[in-house]
Amino acid sequence: MNKNFTYLIIFVLAIITISEMIGFQSIPAGPFTIGLLPLVFAIVITMVLGFKLFRKGFWKKVYSERNINFAGKYLIFIMLPLMARYGADVAPQIRDILQVGWVFLIQELGNLGTVIVGLPIAIMLGLRREAIGATLGIGREGELAYISEKYTLESKEGRGVLSIYIIGTLFGAIFFSIFAPILLDLGFRVEALAMGSGVGSGSMMSAASATLVARMPEMESTILAYASASQLLTSFIGTFTMVFLAAPLQQFMYKKLVKGDK
Amino acid sequence: MNSKRRKYLKYALILLLSVGLILFTQEIKFLKDAHSTPVTWMTVVGLGVLWLFSFIGIIISDLMQRSSVKIIRDFPILGWVSITSLVLCLISDFFVRAIQAVDFLSITTPILTFAGISVANRLVDLRKTSWKVAIVAAFVFTGTYVGSAVLAQLGLYLAEK
Repeated sequence: MNKNFTYLIIFVLAIITISEMIGFQSIPAGPFTIGLLPLVFAIVITMVLGFKLFRKGFWKKVYSERNINFAGKYLIFIMLPLMARYGADVAPQIRDILQVGWVFLIQELGNLGTVIVGLPIAIMLGLRREAIGATLGIGREGELAYISEKYTLESKEGRGVLSIYIIGTLFGAIFFSIFAPILLDLGFRVEALAMGSGVGSGSMMSAASATLVARMPEMESTILAYASASQLLTSFIGTFTMVFLAAPLQQFMYKKLVKGDK
Repeated sequence: MNSKRRKYLKYALILLLSVGLILFTQEIKFLKDAHSTPVTWMTVVGLGVLWLFSFIGIIISDLMQRSSVKIIRDFPILGWVSITSLVLCLISDFFVRAIQAVDFLSITTPILTFAGISVANRLVDLRKTSWKVAIVAAFVFTGTYVGSAVLAQLGLYLAEK
């Protein structure tokens, strides 16, 4: 085995240990609380240490071209056990999900809003291929894996999805915790907002539903049940919505929108 | 044939690395916080199940490359892995119990560590586009949430009528 690869593994173990030892951190920001999970520390530390100016001596061995390529090329395989987990989350509750039925299914289509709302804005701002990665979904693991498999993470599309991923990881929860009560004030039913909370990210779902519970404590059990059921549905059929609906819709809209100014 | 076998061996080892890192993470997490999921023999079985489902997904994805339907050829490996997992978890509750002994958040930390390393050469570009993407992100999050809420509102209204 290549020596630099051994350094990479040791480095990865060290980063995991540091990130987990920092642990989950809640940082109060005004009336809100930003929650930072170990995974945030892991990606921030590895990204910062990857800055070119740090790549000297030992770091140059860890961040060798071969190691960076390995991480990029095989990231989707590293992710597969995560995908294998979703079945175990859905299977025990499949009966309940089927019973709540079509309303849950219909609202899944609302996740196409990322393309319908996001893509025109992205094109308007001058983004092109990055927009494909940035608006396919909310940039969670599913989109990350899909984009990295189809375009690789080093492509412009990959850069787009990764930006959304990082922004979402850092600010997604706070965004939803502010946004959900605003929609409540705008006249949405709390059940509808709870269902909508299953956007496909655990932290964002928790933030949105927790803030709804804070506003309407008497509805707590309904809110949490609807939010987690919708989350389960998104975590499974989200892949299908993405591959069969969001991606084709995005290609269609992209061609229409970009045609004019080429 | 030989190169094919070597390819599968490589995938098998990478998956082994992945589940090994999950085990390591879960143990470290437990050392830090005694309330998190402890590593038991069931965790090891669960990781074995995740390894197996992932590998089956890779093989199915490879076999599907022979399909004449483009959508099936293009269907991502992660989708095949999810389907494999759902079907087998519905067949046997044992898989569900085994997988649930694996802590969810412990799966995410190693993945993000690799994701961070893999973008090392792209960080400069990331900085260049990020303010635009940050604006787009706000609209992307708004789009998915409002989209789902509007349809749910409509669905509930019709369901109660």
